[in-house]
Amino acid sequence: MKQISDLTHRLHESTSLVNWWIWAIVAIVAAWLWSAAFVPVAVAIGSGLLTLISAFLIGLVGYRLKEHMKANDNNEAAPAAAPKASLQEELEALLPKSESPDPLPQVDELLRSMATEQQKRHLEELLRRWVDVAQRYGDATLSLRKQIHAVTQQVEQAATTIANSFQAVIHKATVQARQAMELLEGTQGGTVDGSPQSLKDFIRVSDERLTRMADEVVRVADLSIKMVEELDAVQKRTQAIDGFLVDVEKLADQTSLLALNADIEAARVGEHGRGFSIVAHEVRRLSKRSHEFSDRIRHHLNEVRASLNKTYGDMRMLSAADVKHALKIKDEVIRLTRSLDGKNREVAQTVSSINALSREIAQDVQNVVISLQFHDITSQQLNGMLSPLDELRRTLFHLMQETLKLDKSLLEGLPGDRQWLARAQQGHRIESEIKVDMTDVAPPPPAPPASDRTDANAGPAVELF
Amino acid sequence: MATILTVDDTATMRQMISFTLGSVGHQVIEATDGAEALEIARGRKFDLVIADVNMPNMDGISLVKNLRTLPDYRFTPILILTTESQDKKRQEGRTAGATGWIVKPFNPEQLLTVVKKVLG
Repeated sequence: MKQISDLTHRLHESTSLVNWWIWAIVAIVAAWLWSAAFVPVAVAIGSGLLTLISAFLIGLVGYRLKEHMKANDNNEAAPAAAPKASLQEELEALLPKSESPDPLPQVDELLRSMATEQQKRHLEELLRRWVDVAQRYGDATLSLRKQIHAVTQQVEQAATTIANSFQAVIHKATVQARQAMELLEGTQGGTVDGSPQSLKDFIRVSDERLTRMADEVVRVADLSIKMVEELDAVQKRTQAIDGFLVDVEKLADQTSLLALNADIEAARVGEHGRGFSIVAHEVRRLSKRSHEFSDRIRHHLNEVRASLNKTYGDMRMLSAADVKHALKIKDEVIRLTRSLDGKNREVAQTVSSINALSREIAQDVQNVVISLQFHDITSQQLNGMLSPLDELRRTLFHLMQETLKLDKSLLEGLPGDRQWLARAQQGHRIESEIKVDMTDVAPPPPAPPASDRTDANAGPAVELF
Repeated sequence: MATILTVDDTATMRQMISFTLGSVGHQVIEATDGAEALEIARGRKFDLVIADVNMPNMDGISLVKNLRTLPDYRFTPILILTTESQDKKRQEGRTAGATGWIVKPFNPEQLLTVVKKVLG
């Protein structure tokens, strides 16, 4: 190949320096014009025709040779630019032309066959690389598609689990909030038929009634003290009665003594004093009965005094104990109601906090509902990636089909590994897999995600027509 | 409270819509695509239909067109709830007979407001 290249290069140099075939025609024509002056006209005409035919043939050979050298120069320049050209452009450049130009001279045929041999080797190498790349791209896109599908399913499963858990949590939080509200209403409510319906009202009513009871006890204690004082007065009056009884007994004794003296005097006068003696006797009997009454009164008076003394002692103890106990109960009731009131306020604050938390949870619920829609959005985005992938695989498949339609006779008889040709046949497998996968997943049109709302064509988030 | 048919091929979306509308007392029936929704809608009357656009078997726009041919759904409000935000798609929905267009992700309060408005 190097020798051919050198030969064509030298020929090209020679033709580029001097167009030798033009100069040859000029020389022949000049020689004919010069000889025409010395030979007969018929001979000159005959030699002139031969000269013109020779000049035409020489010119034709020169023209063909130059065209061939130009083509050779272009073929040599192409491999140098190959690394910059794309694979498909190289393939197009190296594909055999179906229509060949006019039959070439023998030298051209030789050069062309050598160039074709080089092109075929280059073509085989490019086809080998192309099939390898196409196969790897096809496998990669298939793997990527499966991975995306698996990710979508896993995300959907996870999102469904999260959504279920979220709904359960929200349900429990709602029940909790409702119960807290009921508790709040129960501790802060009013009364029905005079009975307290809340802890606060219970504390208020209990405080009122216990305070009233303590006041009653204190009032009873005050009355006890007054009764003790009254008993003191009664006891003093009984002592006075006792003094009166002594006077009555003294009076009875004097009356009895007087009746005895009268009876003695009546006996001294005899018969005339009999009537007087009867009166004295009756007076003495009355005096005796006065003593008896006085004793009975004293006896009752002593019993009354004894009872009064006992009652007096009891009343004193009772009044003293009642006041102390009543004051103690009142203090305890006050302390208890204050404690209960404080607890009630704590409960109210706690329930208020729970209520505030419920409102915060409601806001968080909104955020979660918005966030949980990420699966649908990411699925749309991933499905949007699948369409270009499928398009790429279809393109690869069709390109490989076109490759397989190439004239295989171009590749026959060449040395090297032919396994790539068998791998190229696997393009049918790739297409069949594409068809199977497309039945698994709905053909989603490439939908722009919601995040693309900054597009100029994007409208508002909510619109009623 | 209203009976609402929600159509979406994503289970999470159906759950979120049902949760949001169910929290205020609406009865929500779910369908996974347009074809299933159309079959359900033929069997009973709904007060409102909320449909996605991109779904297998039958997309949301086709569902709206098919529903509008049913006598019971000539004037029933139909909301489109989708990730599509392009004006071209919106115009398709409007032409098909949709009542409104909501872009995902939806805000629950916003959805409830729109639903209340279209239900009158």
